[in-house]
Amino acid sequence: MKKLLFSAVLAGVTLVSCTSDDSLSPENENVETPATYNFERDNSSTVDFNGQTTRLQMAAELNSNFNDFDNATEELLLNMFVNENAPFENASLNESSKSVKSKVAASNLYFSTNTVESTEIKNDFDTYISEQMTTVKSAKDQLAEAGVPGQIADGTSERYVNEKGLEYNQAFAKGLIGALLVDQIANNYLSSAVLDEGDNRANNDAEITEEGKAYTTMEHKWDEAYGYLYGDPSIPSANPNSVLNESDDRLLFNYLGQVDRDEDFAGIAEETFEAFKIGRAAIVAGNYELRDEQVAIIQENLSKVVAVRAVHYLQGGKTNIEEGNYGSAFHELSEGFGFIYSLRFTHNPSTGAPYLSKAQIDTYKEQLLSGNGFWDVTPETLDAISEEIAAAFGFSVSEA
Amino acid sequence: MKISRILILACLVFAACSTEDDGGSEVGGNTDDNFDRAAMLANWADNIILPSYQNLNKETQTLEELANSFAENPGSSELTALRNQFKVAYLDFQNVSMFDIGKAEELNYRSFVNTYPLNSGDVESKITSGSYDLNLPSSYAEQGFPALDYLLFGLGSNSDEVLEKYTSNENAENYKAYLLDVATRINALTGEVTASWEGDYRDAFVDNTSSSSNGSVDRLTNKYVMYFEKFLRSGKIGFPSGAITGSPSPINVESYYSEDFSKQLYLQALSSSIDFFNGKHSGNSQTGESYKSYLEALDRGDLADDILAQFNTIQTRSEELDQSLRNQVETNNTLMLEVHDELQKEVVLLKLDMLQALSISVDYVDSDGD
Repeated sequence: MKKLLFSAVLAGVTLVSCTSDDSLSPENENVETPATYNFERDNSSTVDFNGQTTRLQMAAELNSNFNDFDNATEELLLNMFVNENAPFENASLNESSKSVKSKVAASNLYFSTNTVESTEIKNDFDTYISEQMTTVKSAKDQLAEAGVPGQIADGTSERYVNEKGLEYNQAFAKGLIGALLVDQIANNYLSSAVLDEGDNRANNDAEITEEGKAYTTMEHKWDEAYGYLYGDPSIPSANPNSVLNESDDRLLFNYLGQVDRDEDFAGIAEETFEAFKIGRAAIVAGNYELRDEQVAIIQENLSKVVAVRAVHYLQGGKTNIEEGNYGSAFHELSEGFGFIYSLRFTHNPSTGAPYLSKAQIDTYKEQLLSGNGFWDVTPETLDAISEEIAAAFGFSVSEA
Repeated sequence: MKISRILILACLVFAACSTEDDGGSEVGGNTDDNFDRAAMLANWADNIILPSYQNLNKETQTLEELANSFAENPGSSELTALRNQFKVAYLDFQNVSMFDIGKAEELNYRSFVNTYPLNSGDVESKITSGSYDLNLPSSYAEQGFPALDYLLFGLGSNSDEVLEKYTSNENAENYKAYLLDVATRINALTGEVTASWEGDYRDAFVDNTSSSSNGSVDRLTNKYVMYFEKFLRSGKIGFPSGAITGSPSPINVESYYSEDFSKQLYLQALSSSIDFFNGKHSGNSQTGESYKSYLEALDRGDLADDILAQFNTIQTRSEELDQSLRNQVETNNTLMLEVHDELQKEVVLLKLDMLQALSISVDYVDSDGD
């Protein structure tokens, strides 16, 4: 009887979507918001994102070796990027067939017909590694100055920068937040081209699971998006926000927490998690309109995290430049540069495209790095870029 | 319980309807269109597939004969004749590679005849030992046209060096035997597939007009689109240019060893795919029922036009490529990537839009997820 009722409800929902009249509100009554991100079928969990966890671990180990001039080499880091020649300490990563690089700028929506740019972006990350382990490494024992790579004091610690003041490890890690995580989540796994590929809807409606798995393909795609945000092993998958700002994650989840900690954006972490839960429950219920509403929330929020941090660091850099703290300034501007790089992968749900055009973003990068780069950049330039970014995302510079 | 099943069925039908494009929405059920699927299948079988195989088989026959002549007398003119025939047959193979159905599918014909890159190290060690079995699936990458490419062009930097392997080299007899075995096997496999189309398989194929996923139209269409995506886009352009990995990989070029031939192979495969879309007969310019006419019958001539316009764009961009795709990858890989992107746009039109318009569901997915 229960089953029959469920089918009737489903029939109702599909009939509604069949008329494709978007003035009708979705029948949300049949989707309750789950308390946690636990989903089961026949008493087995249907949630699996081990591939995302693997890539996050690869990225973390690569990032943690970026400044290890004594032990790391260009070859080792490049090997970690493509996972060749068993480069990782964590042996299980070496056995994996996955790599970070293959998913950089690789979303279905933005790059499947744009491998020219995808390749350029992958090459940028290669270059950050190579330059770090050649130019910067060979200058590590000299003082940096305008046009000269080397080390520079930041309080009691030192920073290693290129001839423009850029720290490649920051460009790499913060760039990866956009190029790998936001791109895969917002532009790949949550895009309709992936969620609704082939017979995904019909199979999901009929609960036809993947061979040997407990999940339908659509459920799994959603979980893979989830995994890029919440997949670090230190994050409990059912209730990730319980470790918000306390996990070992140093990528997107970490910065979602930092933005959430700013009172102007408080609640963004909870809203994002709610959207992931409701969207997943909507897939189980076959309510794709409700699912797509959650997709839009996630795309908007994760994009906003990138933008807020970009502006935050540009402003931090500006303050330090004005006070003559070049080491601190360069560190913040390097983080800011990485987040600006990541803007290319943001997703405005009302346009299906980034909030700022590629040309605008390229201009910002050029303004930051022209001439002697951070040694020359003016507070006015940093303000102008900050204003444009904040305006595009609908917040104010002071809020960031 | 019975009612519930009916309801679920109803859901499925309506779900399919809801994914229908606003173009030909009344076609949802896909059995009530008036298009003559049998006529299309007959045109494919009688005017395209069978004559293409017959033509190829004639050339593989000659290939085997010339390989025999070369093995008997490995001289310069015999080598030249064999090389030329290799190119003729390899080009003709591009016309049938997409038809991975029936006997070809059963034999894994394409895998045996054109798996590349060749594993040249394994080929060399098998020649040295003189012991091998080309029937094994584990030897896909050691035979077929890629092996001939290596054996005729890759054994030395000029033809004298190549000839040395078949004359004064201590393994000369083994080289000749391996070359002959590869050529013979290409011809035998091609003969078997051709004979199946000349025999019972033709009717089995044409009579299976069902619009279900087991019908010939659905099955071959999936093969066609998959071929275009995986073998033409990825195999010929995507893998060599590193479209997915970000690192160019010249060794993945088709016909890596014979210089200046890879573009020709690619263009032949491309025009073959276009001809099949148009239902163009093999060997003459007549056309019959095809995807193009099917789409037009469904009032989706607009989509057929988009697909043809994109084919046109691909051909125009592809003309700019170097005769040697290996050279192209090594000098200006960006052009390769641009061509790849144009091919991918066509994949979207074929795989999403055309299959949806024809109410054919995709039986393979690009699951490169985790």
